[in-house]
Amino acid sequence: MKYFTSDPAAEPASVQYTRCTVDLKSGKMQMQDVPCRNLEDVLGGFGRSFQILAERNISQAYCDENPLIVNTGLLTGSSAMTGMRTYFSGYSPIKESKKGLPAAMWSTGSGNFGAKLKWTGLDELIFENRSDKPVYALISETPAGPQVELKPAEHLLGLSTHEKIMSLHKEYGNAHFAAIGQAGEQWQNVYMGAVALSTDNQLKSGDDKIRFAGRGGMGSLMGYKNLLALVAQSSDKIKPLTPEVKAVNINVVKGGGAARLQPISRGGGGGTWAAYDVLQAFHAVPLNNFRPEGNDLPEKLFRSQVEKQYVIKSEACYRCGITCHNNVHEKKEDSSAGGFLAKFDYEPLNLLGTNLGIHDAGQAARLIHLCDNYGMDSISLGVTISYILSFNERHPEQLLLNGATFGDFSRIRELVEQTALGKLPEIGHGSKRLSEKTGETSYAYHVKGLELPAYQPETNPGYAWAIAGGHMSMGTYGLLTREGKSDIDSWVEGITRTKLQIVGFDMIGLCKFFDITKGICTQMVVDCLKSELNLEVTTADLSAAVRRAFLRGLALELRQGYEKSEYTLPAEVWERPNPNIKLPNISSQEFMAELQKRVWEVFEPELGGLLPNSIHE
Amino acid sequence: MNVAIKLVGIFQIGRFKEAVHEYPSGTRACDIVAELRIPAPLLGVVLINDVHAGVEDVLNDGDRLCLLPFIDGG
Repeated sequence: MKYFTSDPAAEPASVQYTRCTVDLKSGKMQMQDVPCRNLEDVLGGFGRSFQILAERNISQAYCDENPLIVNTGLLTGSSAMTGMRTYFSGYSPIKESKKGLPAAMWSTGSGNFGAKLKWTGLDELIFENRSDKPVYALISETPAGPQVELKPAEHLLGLSTHEKIMSLHKEYGNAHFAAIGQAGEQWQNVYMGAVALSTDNQLKSGDDKIRFAGRGGMGSLMGYKNLLALVAQSSDKIKPLTPEVKAVNINVVKGGGAARLQPISRGGGGGTWAAYDVLQAFHAVPLNNFRPEGNDLPEKLFRSQVEKQYVIKSEACYRCGITCHNNVHEKKEDSSAGGFLAKFDYEPLNLLGTNLGIHDAGQAARLIHLCDNYGMDSISLGVTISYILSFNERHPEQLLLNGATFGDFSRIRELVEQTALGKLPEIGHGSKRLSEKTGETSYAYHVKGLELPAYQPETNPGYAWAIAGGHMSMGTYGLLTREGKSDIDSWVEGITRTKLQIVGFDMIGLCKFFDITKGICTQMVVDCLKSELNLEVTTADLSAAVRRAFLRGLALELRQGYEKSEYTLPAEVWERPNPNIKLPNISSQEFMAELQKRVWEVFEPELGGLLPNSIHE
Repeated sequence: MNVAIKLVGIFQIGRFKEAVHEYPSGTRACDIVAELRIPAPLLGVVLINDVHAGVEDVLNDGDRLCLLPFIDGG
């Protein structure tokens, strides 16, 4: 980034970012310093990429004109804690409107790739067209500036995410990596491919401790483009910690929203896994395809139960003091840690565990491990499989695929493996398409074509207005459960004002655990921007930019054919209300209809002028 | 007065799962939170008789108080 102003909100064109456009077909590269159009461009991430996507007329995800945009945020690679994010954007293979048009989508992850990319001097890569042969991109710093090269990648074909990364690691020192697995290579039959991002812990230990940009099939889009991996090679350029950023970082770790994500041994809550205990108190832990039974089955995957059999190590991304990772290891006879099995986060653990009727931690770990190594989005994979299991439970005379049912680990594992290898497009294409084929759509747990995370839809009507991942692009998932809000006014306010601000993290380069409840419009972020980049930005500037970016995403959905009737929940929630969930009912058709009316009354007048008047054909 | 207390998740560590304690009238939920030394940043949800409540809410004889940790994404 090049700054010729300290006031990017007033003078965005005086900030330039460095972009390389790579034509994968011809191999041509174009390096540009691009002036920013607005503060969203300056902040980066999806705030910028969605403006680029809005300029394209894309009717199918797998086409030459659909770009893969890889970029960072302003604070990626900074000394601000969690500043490690990389963003992957494009029109999604999996998320589509009922008209069949692909939705614009972004996905993001930590690991060290984003910082390394930033430190090469490059802020954004746009991959156009597709390569005839498998390639990987090497992005490196040179005395003349960043350089991008395409390299043959036949030797990486068929390798897992971890194997690709470790293979490239042998070749390139001082580098970090983004790679797809076998699933992304099978893009025709797998629309839920993820992008794996390397971590220092992974490269040093040799264990597959990877981070993922999982949602929306950006790994499949990468596979379509025959782009198997990215290598970012640069020296570390972390600035010395200033007193201001140091104070922010201490606040993040000890006093801010992340304190409760710290390990239990440090007085924290133990990471996202803690959601199991809390949601179970309301019998709202998804079980057997989002049908909690009011029993104690979910408790078998409580941390306190798993600890009896396994060793759980609390670890962190490099330079991050939040230590939110719960890495599960085998327990040796002397109770020390044996081999690494999997990282237990709430979403993958539930959606590849309890929600499939799997209540054994070792089996759940095996499924998570497979999903990560094949390179799939654990949410889309888990929810599509749970749909199959539910269908089979309902139709014992007409079993789908291998006839797997809830809890049948060996058959479920077979489904995971076969999906990753491109042999089960029924699963690989996601639950929306599958349920439309079976004709039983009410219990396919997706909204707008993207599978739901592990929060019951009965507790979160806000899913309907999420513009990317269901809970990470609309922060209403705790509005009922945590805050106890069941009145329509609170939900309208949450969806249209406060909770949409969560997407700010997906612009600026910070992880949501920086301060998940308050978002990026805080003095902490203002202080970091001033100290790190000498930029004077107010919290009001940030809030306005985040809101515009969110609304642009909504406008883009509507342009891609979404009808307002698609802003809803899976019909089962009101067709078969679940009496076991011990929370007020806010998912009736009447509540939803009123919410739709009130939310659109707020959003609709603001949607004009956010998309370009003319688009490239 | 008697209050039935239920602790969820990490709050059970070094404390208890469920117990009935005796308190003077006028005791608020936050008084019990402080007595149990539950760190404020970790407290996510307070339920009194299965209904969401505030930490300042006053308890009555026979109430059931449930304290739950915060949840943060996944």
